[in-house]
Amino acid sequence: MSEGLPFVAGDVFPDFELPDHGDNRRRLSELVGDDPTVLQFYRGWWCPKEQRFFRRLVHLQDEAEVAYARFVSVSVDASTVSAAFRAGLGARWTFLCDEHRAVVERLGLRETTDTVNEPFVPAVFVLSPDLRVHRAYNGYWFWGRPTAEELVVDLRTITRKIRPDWDAPTP
Amino acid sequence: MSRCWLAIADAAPKDATAIAELEDVAGARAGVLVAWSRRSKPVRNALRADPRIVDPAGPAGWASLVLVPPGVRVAFDDLAVQQARRDVLAHPRADAVSTLLRDASHFDGAITLARGEEGRVRLHDDPFARVFPARMLRLGPGIIGAPPAPVGPTIERYGSANPWPWDRFG
Repeated sequence: MSEGLPFVAGDVFPDFELPDHGDNRRRLSELVGDDPTVLQFYRGWWCPKEQRFFRRLVHLQDEAEVAYARFVSVSVDASTVSAAFRAGLGARWTFLCDEHRAVVERLGLRETTDTVNEPFVPAVFVLSPDLRVHRAYNGYWFWGRPTAEELVVDLRTITRKIRPDWDAPTP
Repeated sequence: MSRCWLAIADAAPKDATAIAELEDVAGARAGVLVAWSRRSKPVRNALRADPRIVDPAGPAGWASLVLVPPGVRVAFDDLAVQQARRDVLAHPRADAVSTLLRDASHFDGAITLARGEEGRVRLHDDPFARVFPARMLRLGPGIIGAPPAPVGPTIERYGSANPWPWDRFG
């Protein structure tokens, strides 16, 4: 699943800083905090595949909002565009904006076949709080993207590992 | 473990961590907003808040203060309170927000803060004001922090004794 991506399961994802949809500077490690996190890179608001995949994530957020997991989405869209796209989707998580394409190059995640928009290659990394990649999904082809069920399994696996009280305390 | 407590008082107490003068929208003095960083409750009407919203060096601005009326008990997990938390995440407008707690199970209010004179405009659609009426107050300098916006989509508290959106266990 992770073929073709510069980061695979077991790697520590590089920390980076970008403006969010409200134009506030945010650091990945601060956003992840102590929770399992779905880190999604997407082409931009204009891509039909992204629009469809976001509907999957928006549906999943209704579970994630009570499960102590975080979502972060990253694109080359400007903050105002990301804010509008986020609002239209009904997404309640943080969008990061690499409008000047500094991070896309640093991470080696530029989609080289799109020389017009120079976007991120679509990819999803499920991260542990220490930024270690639990699983990587290459979404260049739509079927490479994780299903909601796969994300649930990934988030469950990380949660079980990091929560000392996963086995509910009993008398 | 230190906790953050907020209360409105007539005058500034000596043991406060941060204090700001309060005025109502007509410009009449409305007391002071006091913050304490300490384990025990400092005064009877103090409520717990996310400590990140307090900055003793913070500028002047505005507060939308929602308090549950006396005698009313609302569960923190009440659907209206849940939806207000979702709305805060979906439409971020303010510089800082915290639910206010007296205990581990009830919603006792919320404070939403916006820096600067124009901040009042951004507080007009405070989601918590749909649960109970909000009181709009002008805040002097000395209390409004600038915490990072909640990451989302979590609406749950990290431990029932902690105010939302504080986002770490322990």
